Amino acid sequence: MTTNAPANALDYNARSRAFKIFSAIVLAIFAIIWIIPLVFALDTSLKPEGEIAAHPTSWWSSHFSFHAYTEVVKGTPIMTWYLNSLIIAVLTVIITLVVCSMIGFALAQTRFSGRITVFGFVLAGLLIPGSILVLPLYQIVHEMHLLNTYWAMALPAVSAPVAVFIFESFFSGLPRELIEAARIDGASWFGIYWRVCLPLCRPAMAAVAIFTFVGSWNNFLWPLLCMSNVDQMTIPVGMATVAGGFGILYAQVMATAVLGALPLFVVFLLFQRHIVQGIAGTGIK
Amino acid sequence: MTDNSVQRRTQPHPSPTRRTIVGAGLGAAAAELLSGCGSPVATGLFGLAPPSDKLTYWNLFSGGDGANMAKMEKVYERSHPSIDLSATTLSWGTPYYTKLALATAGGAPPDVGIVHLSRLDTFVEAGLLTPFPADELTAFGMPATNFTPRAAQKATVDGQLHAIPLDTHPFVMYYNIPVCRKAGLLDADDNLKPIHGPAELTAALLAAKKVTGHYGGVVAVIGDPATNLRYFSTLYYQAGGTYIADAGQKITIDNDKAAQVLTFMRNLTKSGLMPATINDAGVLSLFSTGKAGFLFDGEWDIPTYRATPLNGKFNVVPIPHIFGPKPVAYADSHSFVIPRNSAMDKNRRAMVLTFIKTMLENSLIWAGGGHVPAWTPVRDSAAFKALKPQANYVAAAETAMYDPPAWYSGAGSDFENIIGAAVANSQSGVSSASSAVGQMWSGLRPYADAKAPVG
Amino acid sequence: MATTVIDDGLPVAVPDSGSPLRTQRSGENRAGWLLSAPFIVFYLIFLIGPALYGILMSFFNTTSVKSGLGAAVGLANYREVLTSSAFWGSMGHTLWFTVLTTPPLVILAFVFAILAERIRRGRALVRFIFFAPFVMPVTSVTMIFGWLFTAQIGLFPKWLSDIGISPPNFLGTTGWSFITVALLTVWWTVGFNFVLFLAGLQEIPTEVYEAAAIDGSTPRKTMWSITMPLLRPTIVLVTMLQILASLQIFNQMYLMTGGGPGTSTRPVMEFIYDYGFSDYRAGYAAAATMVYFVIVLVVSLVWFVLRRQTRKTVGA
Repeated sequence: MTTNAPANALDYNARSRAFKIFSAIVLAIFAIIWIIPLVFALDTSLKPEGEIAAHPTSWWSSHFSFHAYTEVVKGTPIMTWYLNSLIIAVLTVIITLVVCSMIGFALAQTRFSGRITVFGFVLAGLLIPGSILVLPLYQIVHEMHLLNTYWAMALPAVSAPVAVFIFESFFSGLPRELIEAARIDGASWFGIYWRVCLPLCRPAMAAVAIFTFVGSWNNFLWPLLCMSNVDQMTIPVGMATVAGGFGILYAQVMATAVLGALPLFVVFLLFQRHIVQGIAGTGIK
Repeated sequence: MTDNSVQRRTQPHPSPTRRTIVGAGLGAAAAELLSGCGSPVATGLFGLAPPSDKLTYWNLFSGGDGANMAKMEKVYERSHPSIDLSATTLSWGTPYYTKLALATAGGAPPDVGIVHLSRLDTFVEAGLLTPFPADELTAFGMPATNFTPRAAQKATVDGQLHAIPLDTHPFVMYYNIPVCRKAGLLDADDNLKPIHGPAELTAALLAAKKVTGHYGGVVAVIGDPATNLRYFSTLYYQAGGTYIADAGQKITIDNDKAAQVLTFMRNLTKSGLMPATINDAGVLSLFSTGKAGFLFDGEWDIPTYRATPLNGKFNVVPIPHIFGPKPVAYADSHSFVIPRNSAMDKNRRAMVLTFIKTMLENSLIWAGGGHVPAWTPVRDSAAFKALKPQANYVAAAETAMYDPPAWYSGAGSDFENIIGAAVANSQSGVSSASSAVGQMWSGLRPYADAKAPVG
Repeated sequence: MATTVIDDGLPVAVPDSGSPLRTQRSGENRAGWLLSAPFIVFYLIFLIGPALYGILMSFFNTTSVKSGLGAAVGLANYREVLTSSAFWGSMGHTLWFTVLTTPPLVILAFVFAILAERIRRGRALVRFIFFAPFVMPVTSVTMIFGWLFTAQIGLFPKWLSDIGISPPNFLGTTGWSFITVALLTVWWTVGFNFVLFLAGLQEIPTEVYEAAAIDGSTPRKTMWSITMPLLRPTIVLVTMLQILASLQIFNQMYLMTGGGPGTSTRPVMEFIYDYGFSDYRAGYAAAATMVYFVIVLVVSLVWFVLRRQTRKTVGA
């Protein structure tokens, strides 16, 4: 994706070289602006509280330490929130992958009666701004007695038409002959889906898995409502809700912010290419 | 899930590091998952009740109150080592009450929580709390007669106690001792000479202003609707005024009395005896540096001023009796409640009641934050009577007036914001007294007209 | 993988192949439905369900802390919402936030992508830096910016003082609160649009640029006559996605300003949250939800129509 030729193509023109340098400088300036908040947050989190009070905007400290981090880990249930976020995200990803790839396959490769209706029906779902409907959704999940369980988070997230269409378009790209050959070999439709097609659609699975994971991990309003018990909270909600006694202890606040962001940074570093492609893939939304 | 990831790690794979990390994460999660029934994970997955030796307690105390509450929790933990006390501090005000209500309605409330008595009626009407029968309280050594009568009365809804009061925290008057001494406002023991009526208060502020060279007194106006409400309510309640009736369905503001009180208050800011546009930070700065002789504020700010150079040079008394036939103080109370919870059995309830009793018995620690204990064995103890300035305003707890009951009223509520904003407009001179009263009416009107969600 | 494109033309049904295949057809039929069923169930319960239940609730005095619908109130909730200055005020705040954030988030992302496309090395690093904030939880973002914007001791007020500008009260006044939250939002989410634009740029065939370069086209001319027209579908996409996202603002506002000072920055989602959950007035807030829902749905439909038209004209 990054090593394609267009940049070179522009070299055909001499004036473009000056423009290239200009581009690099402007980008560098903005890149620096963009990382300052992160670096300063990290910097503050490593300073002793006393030094922050005395020199709040100073970048240097003679006593950098992880003290604030140990205080946060000791003083708040942040480890429990990590675990909750992780389990919820993993549950959501697994169910979403299974459920959405099944219907994606059905829409792409089987010709069942009513398929067009179902297709249009799911397509209409792309238009529904679901996040606005938290209030009625809360009432429904309440009546289902799922509040304060992981299922309150995981199950509603599965109704993601975007994921369906990512799978649908991927399965559509598979050659029809492949399926017909499997049919002749006597494979069942489920067998074709599970053993023939699903293993071929790793990129689609990766894209859906990653944006489902990120979406689940960073969801805020819904878990704010449905995970009201402190022990059931996710990372973003727990951090925002529990004062934890650190009123104006900036190092601890920044340490919390850094800890909250850390896991997804790691995920992002590991899966950068997949994430970026996955986001580009959601262009259909 | 774990089996899979472990298995895969042993196979050659293009990106082993990635898988190892994810696999390790899942493995750790799974280990935790298996480790405990009754763990948060078990609750999250299967909706199981928390373990029987764990006591969850929610409060909204930060700062000085938070520190005192932590001390009291320590006392409890030391005397009940077998119980795992899990105390959580949530953000103050509406967010806390929203959380508590949603958690209770959602079937996962804390075992015990703190509620302002001004918020109690709504919680009871919504069916979120369990009552404390009189015989149960007696059995646990907490008969209703052992509480400040006014607080116990406020905690009683539909004839039953629904909350166990911890304190009464009135809106009070602070004075700067050196300033007032110089102004001739103190008696031989450095106690403030009694002030009665609008003229005497104005005169006292004028005398203080002459000493400070800046202001006679100070109260927050900008960015703090609650303080505006408390200040106005104290005087308005003294004058015999009311806001709403019928659980908030009817507005009963007495226009003349409200305008009279607002005009008196505005005259103090208009004449320069008190600043007309000042926020909390400005108030702190003026009073702590002796640029104002008097301060109207909640007693919970005593620890704040003790941390300034003013420490030891100020005293606190009830707000003087300015209007009406009898003195009245505006106040609220923190109280313990037991939210409705299907997982609450007899043993757990006994554990909670013991916890509350321990808290009450140690409420002298709590009084350190400025509050008047509601538990009379502590309030009437020699130790509390020696606690100054807290012991000065015990009377205020007896004459306490709370926010009127309504679904939109109580600590940090829309009611407080509406009234407080109107008062602030009058105080800063943005609105006349009569138009500020009009704002109160128009602000409350949609709430009074709306169909109440509870009750 | 390139941008996935959904065919808006509905799929064509395969003509019935006749009797010899009937059993196979019925098997296919059953398989199709069975594989679709789980999703349809989720979809009905958690997406269509809330929409319908929201409509139902809006005619009742439903209480969020109690089970059931409560007493029927007819159109009273709608009457109250539509005449509520607090509701329309919050709608105005949401629109103002959308106006403040959409142009910078589209234009900056576009400029970053165009510039990133020009540089030879470090493109992955640039992409990482701009996109990294997007994977952060909103609470981390607001905690960090809350600290950066803190009056007197924050980094931003100090920088402004250093260059001789007296720093505004970033979170204390209505006007600045909007700007502060908008700045934070740009920092946080520009990477998402940036990546969409990068993907769009990749779709433009190299030969088009080569041909233009051989014809002696200047970079500016190439930009206006080739890049912009070919990128039009992406520009429409990003703009509409951004408008839809900004219209649903809640998180940053709730965490940074709580809708304050007073309720002067409260967006619609927070209005619904305040009335529906803090005040327990679920029925009333459901009416507000449905009004808001219809407005956003209309914007979605406009996008849908626009997209179809763009596709047609570009022939993609």
